[in-house]
Amino acid sequence: MLKKIFIKYLLLLSLVFLATTSVNAEELAPLLAELQQAAAETETLSSPFVQEKYLQIFSEKLISNGQFAYQKPDRLRWELLTPVASGFILRGDQGERWNSLSQKQEKFSVKSDPIMGMIAQQLLAWARVDLDWLQSRYRMEVSSVTPIVLTLYPLDQGEATFIDHLNIQFSTDRRHVSEVLMVEQGGDSTLLRFIDAQVNIELAADTFQVPEL
Amino acid sequence: MGLITLCYRRFQRRRGWLLLLLLILLALASWKISQLQIEESISAMLPDGKSLVAHDFQLLQQAPFARQLVIHLRADPEIDSHDLLVATDQLRLALPAELFKGPLSGPGEMTTSPLFNQLGQYLPVLVNAEDLQQIAAQLEPEEIDQHLAADLAQLLQPQGMVLKETIRRDPLQLEGLVLQKLSSLNPIPEVRLQDGHFLSRDGHSSLILADTPISMTDAVGSKALLDAFAVACQQLPDGIQANLISGHAYTLANAQTIQKDMKLVLLVSGMGILLLFFLFLRSIRALFVYLLPLFSMAMALVVTAAWFKPLSGITVGFGAVLLGITIDFGLHVYFALRYGRCQQGREQLLCAVSRPVLFGALTTLAAFAVLLSSALPGQRQLAIFAMAGIVTALLLALLVLPHFIGPNKENGASSLRQLRRHVYDRIPSLRIAVLLIWLGVVGFAAVQAQDLKINAELRQLSYLPPALQQAEQALGETWGNMRSRALVFASAPDLEGALELNEDIWRKLQGHGMLKDIVSLAPLLPSQQTQQQNLHAWRTLWQERQATVRDLLQLTGQKYGFADNAFDPFWERLNEPERLVTPELLERWGLEKALNNLLLKNDQGYQLLTLIPDQADLIQQLGEDFADLPGITLVSQRRFSQQLSYEIGADFSRFITLAGVAVLVLLVLLFRRIPEVLLALLPVLTGVLVMFGGMGWLGLEMNLFNVVASILIIGLGVDYGIFMVCHGQQEEHLASSRAILISGLTTLIGFGALVLAKHPALHSIGLTVLLGISAAVPTAVLVIPAFRPKRH
Repeated sequence: MLKKIFIKYLLLLSLVFLATTSVNAEELAPLLAELQQAAAETETLSSPFVQEKYLQIFSEKLISNGQFAYQKPDRLRWELLTPVASGFILRGDQGERWNSLSQKQEKFSVKSDPIMGMIAQQLLAWARVDLDWLQSRYRMEVSSVTPIVLTLYPLDQGEATFIDHLNIQFSTDRRHVSEVLMVEQGGDSTLLRFIDAQVNIELAADTFQVPEL
Repeated sequence: MGLITLCYRRFQRRRGWLLLLLLILLALASWKISQLQIEESISAMLPDGKSLVAHDFQLLQQAPFARQLVIHLRADPEIDSHDLLVATDQLRLALPAELFKGPLSGPGEMTTSPLFNQLGQYLPVLVNAEDLQQIAAQLEPEEIDQHLAADLAQLLQPQGMVLKETIRRDPLQLEGLVLQKLSSLNPIPEVRLQDGHFLSRDGHSSLILADTPISMTDAVGSKALLDAFAVACQQLPDGIQANLISGHAYTLANAQTIQKDMKLVLLVSGMGILLLFFLFLRSIRALFVYLLPLFSMAMALVVTAAWFKPLSGITVGFGAVLLGITIDFGLHVYFALRYGRCQQGREQLLCAVSRPVLFGALTTLAAFAVLLSSALPGQRQLAIFAMAGIVTALLLALLVLPHFIGPNKENGASSLRQLRRHVYDRIPSLRIAVLLIWLGVVGFAAVQAQDLKINAELRQLSYLPPALQQAEQALGETWGNMRSRALVFASAPDLEGALELNEDIWRKLQGHGMLKDIVSLAPLLPSQQTQQQNLHAWRTLWQERQATVRDLLQLTGQKYGFADNAFDPFWERLNEPERLVTPELLERWGLEKALNNLLLKNDQGYQLLTLIPDQADLIQQLGEDFADLPGITLVSQRRFSQQLSYEIGADFSRFITLAGVAVLVLLVLLFRRIPEVLLALLPVLTGVLVMFGGMGWLGLEMNLFNVVASILIIGLGVDYGIFMVCHGQQEEHLASSRAILISGLTTLIGFGALVLAKHPALHSIGLTVLLGISAAVPTAVLVIPAFRPKRH
């Protein structure tokens, strides 16, 4: 008797689970198509951002401000302005990073620096809303439709040892990412909020150049 | 000589039995030859025993990459390095596993190796006194402030997530010191790693390293290997080329070149000998003379194989050349019995000719007997081979050949000997002219011979195809000198002893400021004793500094917002129990390839290798440093070549001196008069001098093959001298000039044709024979009679 109840319970549980995923999958496909269509029109993107880091290594929340810029197809600028001016620019496979503390500038290649390669791919994927790439790397769930919030779970074992999940929130016009929450294994998290993002504006000529230190 | 006449009489009516006996012997020899084991290794031509050269040669074989297959892929400039690496992996997977063992295109993704997580744990046992000084400097307040600020900057960047735990464990970046020690394991100077692959600095070249079960001297196996490589390369995309650099490519190129050369040489010499036959011999019976060297060679092979196991392929090759001497004996007997003139008949002619034949053979035997004392095992094999062949040829020429030559066909009017004698008698100035020309040639050769150099570079003995040379040059230019470094061996019965010696070598190199481009295990695998000493020094430092540094780290950390427990993993690590680095640990870290290359185990114990640049000044300096240190051996390709050159030179000088003395003694015994002895020596001295002078004039260097081929000149030259002087002394007309002329022409056509060969070894033999015989024959047939006309 107990066995029968247990089997019925399992069956019910499976049906509920299947129903949830099918709803999610049904929701996801048109949403993704819509996001991709909107992002396809993005040529440039420029946005100040606020980064909030909740790390156990620090005694309190660390807030920093920075500037993000993207130009189709593969140019990036990631710059922290406070508390330590530092950042990197990326032009295709080649990049350059700087640090005002050490007064160092150094070139790198995303192919020879696997960590920078992974970061560059992530940032480019968010900026381009490259959902094909994101889907190949993450299991996606729709956490909210208005605004659109996708929750991403890494499929790659190596990445999963660092990242538990990502929440990506899109702007109301759905043309760009407005917030990224990255939750690490162990509970540390980083929240990036892109404020006043400007789409398809003309970027300054030196946007993808290393600043004078 | 009476014995020979007696034998002639005995066998005269039993020719059938004699022929049957010969055929049985030939059949037995053929069966034995089919069972022969031939060793195809150059080591037979290197000094053996306890010589430094033999020792160095053995050690040089243990150099990393010396036996490995190196595949060098090169991409056109427009091709992305990522695409090159994809093609590299495709090629690696396409290589057949039975021929390419363990192909490696790089160390793999090192980021996933436990090495980087665990290496820091071994910092206390790996830091030496200099490292500790650096660490002490990093513990000053300003340094700590700078490091923590840098840590903060890193953590704020996106990559901070990945680096977080590393920063907690090592906020002062002390592990960098131990990471630097990994660079001493890199045997490829110009390499960088990308996606776990070997990539050149310019990003346009990659490498695949592999082992193979195919022996480097196996031409058939080498062909299979290179064919398989060519098939695997077919799938490479346009713009990417791959070259296989290994001894196999040279083996195959050499084998193919020799095959092509032999076709050409056999065609030319075959046609030449045929022409000679129709011009001078014109008798089917003369064929017996040409069969004589073949039969002698077969018997020589059987005798030598019974003596030495396995038989050196080089001995067989050279031996076949040297037994060209034996045609002389047959030709002299043939011409004497066929065209000689004597009132007492055939038996007297045989008796007369047997004297110079016997002495010619004895002098040649004496010359080869000297080779028995050679330091080169191949030369000693060669001595036995040649002596067995000469004895066989002598017996055949004197006991068997006379029965198959046919009747005497003396034709005095057309005799070259008579014609020349008449010419000298009729035109005395011609004699003077011949002598002046001879003197001029000898003088010129003597001057030019002073420029002759000995080249013992083993590679010069092989055919080096330009394409392979270019591939090897490109490999060196792209990756640095990875295949020809000097080696320093630290040997001891136990691992600990070998590791201590290895450290001594490292310290010595450090003392000379020569740590650039050095490959050694010493920094990463010190002896247990050194590790304990390092650990003790490390603990002493921290006992003194721990409290201060802890306060400083906490205070400075607070300034940058770090939590009080942020660096707990750092302090926990300081208090961890001791861990020592062992070879097993290096294997677990994925460094087994480096370990296998640099740590060798044999019956005598352990050997550790240090690779250093093969620079003359460095080798000289280190040679002096290590001379008095037991257990340390320095081996350099450069020094090996110099030593080999010296040994070959010394061996050749000894051979020339002893052979000269032996020949001189025999000539004195034979002729008992100094003028005759000197006359008999004229062809050989002229031949050798012209050979040396000719090579010096042409800017050629004397190599191992010239040395051996010159023995042929000496053997034939002495024979020519003996025959011509005997001819001058004896009343019988033995047609010696004609025999010498035919012998010389046969040798020139048969072996001089080798000068057309592309392979340096064959070409060297051909050139030596061409120069030497071209001088010895005219000296014998023109100069000796000019000095001493035949008595009547």
